[in-house]
Amino acid sequence: MSSSLDSYLVLSGLLFSIGTFGFLARRNAISMLMSIELMLNAVNLTIIAFGAFEQPLHVHASVIALIVIAVAAAEATVGLAIVIAIYRNKKTPLVDEYDSMSE
Amino acid sequence: MPIGQTLPFTAVRWDDVLFVVLAIMLLGSALLVVTMRDIIRCGLAMIASFASLAGIYVLLGNPLLAATQVLVYIGAISILVLFAIMLTETKNAPTRLVFQTQAWVGAVAAVVIAAIIAGTVLTTTWPSTGAVAWTATSDIATMLFGQYVLPFEAVSVLLTAAVVGGVLLARREPPAGKEDRS
Amino acid sequence: MTALLPLIPILPLGGFVLTGLLGRRYPDDAHRIAVWAVVASWVVASIVAVMALLHASPFGTGGAGITLWTWIPANGFANGFNASMGLFVDPLTACLLIVVTTIGMLVHVYSIGYMAHDPGRWRFFAYLNLFMFSMLTLVLADNFLLVFAGWELVGLCSYLLIGFWYPRRSAAVAAKKAFLVNRVGDMGFALGIMAIWTQLGTLNMQAVFARFGSVPHEWQIAIALLIFCGAVGKSAQFPLHVWLPDAMEGPTPVSALIHAATMVNAGVYLVARCNPIFGAAPEVMVVVAAIGIFTAILAASIAFTQTDIKRVLAYSTLSQLGYMFASLGVGAWTAAIFHLMSHGFFKGLLFLDSGSVIHSVDGEQDMRKMGGLARKIPITYATMLVGSIAIAGVPPLAGFFSKDEILGRAFKNGFLWVWAIGFVVAGMTAFYMFRLMGMTFWGPSHVDPEVEHHIHESPRSMTGPLVLLAIPAALLGLAIGFPPETGLLHQWLAPVFASTIAASGHTEAAYNFFGIDGALAIGTTALVAVAIVLAWRFFGVEIPALGLRAQPRPDQVRALSARQGLSLLYKGSFNKWWFDDINNKLFVEWGGRVAAAAFWFDRTIVDGTVNGIGTVTAGAGMRLRRVQTGRVQNYALGIALGLIVMAAGYLYLAVR
Repeated sequence: MSSSLDSYLVLSGLLFSIGTFGFLARRNAISMLMSIELMLNAVNLTIIAFGAFEQPLHVHASVIALIVIAVAAAEATVGLAIVIAIYRNKKTPLVDEYDSMSE
Repeated sequence: MPIGQTLPFTAVRWDDVLFVVLAIMLLGSALLVVTMRDIIRCGLAMIASFASLAGIYVLLGNPLLAATQVLVYIGAISILVLFAIMLTETKNAPTRLVFQTQAWVGAVAAVVIAAIIAGTVLTTTWPSTGAVAWTATSDIATMLFGQYVLPFEAVSVLLTAAVVGGVLLARREPPAGKEDRS
Repeated sequence: MTALLPLIPILPLGGFVLTGLLGRRYPDDAHRIAVWAVVASWVVASIVAVMALLHASPFGTGGAGITLWTWIPANGFANGFNASMGLFVDPLTACLLIVVTTIGMLVHVYSIGYMAHDPGRWRFFAYLNLFMFSMLTLVLADNFLLVFAGWELVGLCSYLLIGFWYPRRSAAVAAKKAFLVNRVGDMGFALGIMAIWTQLGTLNMQAVFARFGSVPHEWQIAIALLIFCGAVGKSAQFPLHVWLPDAMEGPTPVSALIHAATMVNAGVYLVARCNPIFGAAPEVMVVVAAIGIFTAILAASIAFTQTDIKRVLAYSTLSQLGYMFASLGVGAWTAAIFHLMSHGFFKGLLFLDSGSVIHSVDGEQDMRKMGGLARKIPITYATMLVGSIAIAGVPPLAGFFSKDEILGRAFKNGFLWVWAIGFVVAGMTAFYMFRLMGMTFWGPSHVDPEVEHHIHESPRSMTGPLVLLAIPAALLGLAIGFPPETGLLHQWLAPVFASTIAASGHTEAAYNFFGIDGALAIGTTALVAVAIVLAWRFFGVEIPALGLRAQPRPDQVRALSARQGLSLLYKGSFNKWWFDDINNKLFVEWGGRVAAAAFWFDRTIVDGTVNGIGTVTAGAGMRLRRVQTGRVQNYALGIALGLIVMAAGYLYLAVR
């Protein structure tokens, strides 16, 4: 099982779905950001799995994953800063109350 | 004495056991992240899921990635998230409803996506080697600072920009005239 | 020489602009610029006209023109449509120039006195000048588009001047009626111009005439008919004649200038100018003759019973215009222009006289409230008598020669029916004119006693033009129409119509007084004499110099008009043969219903469709905007669902 690409990919898919659900369902902005992290992790897992099992992608996948991690870090920084800025304005972390775009 | 390749008295390989345990930990903690009421605990569960994933990276023969996962995700991003939680969470924070009204639609969508991915993966025949290839850190270093040096530098610029952006956005009083509200 | 041409229309235009701009500030001197502008224009026009009539260089026999500038350049339109601003003078134009500028000038002078007390007279003179400019443009234009521009401008001036006393409802309505009825004819004219363009690719008149033979015959007929349609509208021929009598709502100088002497002649001028076009379509010539002579007898019969002095003259104008068209129709081009000129002078004179009469009796226009004015306003009376004799066709005044020539040519060119009707109309004309004279000047006075004591002769600025107009009204026939059919006018105009007459096959038989021509002339004169005597018998006469004295017999008139058979005719005539009622029924009532239906269709179906689309869109938007909640996660859900759909579709395609 641990030597089958399929199991890693399915695991990644499940993780991604959980992240998706979290992003769509949670009301808290920070929860949504955490869900995004989960989804990014799922993607990373996919990349690493392919790198481990597919000879042409070997090592390349690791580099790509590293870059993804760096980008994720940047995204988290900016994302959280935005959440904090909005929170200061709206006095609430709940995303469904951020509806000024509908006006 | 070295332990064998398999679980004693069975044909079950240690690798498989480890994989299953880590996968259960990963998915379980991830589920907790998206379902728990208390957002602090959500953050802690997220750390657990990150750690499990680091283990899986080790299983995939990639110790550098596992180390990076621990350093960046657990050491930096998780802490950042916990800080944000503490900054935004007030005493009277509404914990009454964790989920959106559209949560069930999101759940259905997530399940369908999972099904589609799983179905696609299982019905596809990958040209797999059938065994995990060990990834040496030195190989990664060679490639990262050789072939991929330009993306590497781009990422460093991105990180700098992100730091500057984060500082600007999170400042208490945005400097007048510099904000762009349009 | 041709460089003088632009001056002729530009002088009145300048007068119009200056009077229009300054008139309000200097109301007492408003007429000065306008009158002097027209006088100057008259001088220039006279020089030009005399040169052209004498066939002197540079005009020669074929005329000469000047192109001022390119009006519409050929590269402006995909089909190369172009027109130039050009003026052209040949003997025909010269004749019109004389009539238009001379009568125009006299009317301007006359208006000084007539409009002396009107507060809006600066406006009046501005309009008159604008009219002069428009009419001269129309006459001088060398291409159809410019003719059309002048054509519309005179229509506009006519509208403005008929409605000059616009606070009076009847004047405003009459102006509108004239404008709308004219529009019908103008539409035809415009279509005719377009047809000319499509067939020949040019609008220059001389070029069109030179190449008109190459146009297919159906198109020749169509173009001739359409142009005639315009002429019918402008010259108030049946069935578009209804506007002219109502146009008498305007000030009397306007009636004299526009609605008797110049503008209504534009149609005659146009047909005569387009003689190569009409000559190429003999079928249309018959139509022209028929409509002309029918209008002549129709209008004459209406003039019998009208009591408004100006309306009698208006119907008389219609009738005489009908003569002119009949003349054109039978191929007697020169006779038509001859009648146009003589009619212009004596009808202008009659109208100015009627204005003088109305002026003297304090604005009264009903002849039943006049009578016995001969001694009180002698100059007006004398000049009007001259005009009446002239129009009645008593030799040797102008009307005799021109009318006799028309009838003679109709007879000799084989249009016996035209001659027969025209012969009757000649008698009718004499009768109604002397009825007018009898009711107005002779017999006992029926003037309102309050007005009676201050009846006065008009000021010199009014009587002067009357005398000046009476001279050509009396002598023009002898001067340019004698000897018949070889007179001066014939020599002048011969080159203009020569080729058309030659093509028509009507040989110009020599005038033979001791033959058919003399017999016709004597017959007509005899009929006219009988008609005049009849009119004297019924409506009175009082010419002491000739020993003529008769009292009017209104009882006999009444008895006669009530007699079986005649009463229907009388009623028909009195009610103008119900044309206004028919038009009202046909166009105002039924047309109004059609318009209402169209309006309903437009409102409910067309607008309904458009508005419906708008409403549905707006409604859908109002409902669909709820989709745009502004919440990030709703959008994210959309992304997720879209992803699912796309993936599912992709998988479906892959599996299939």
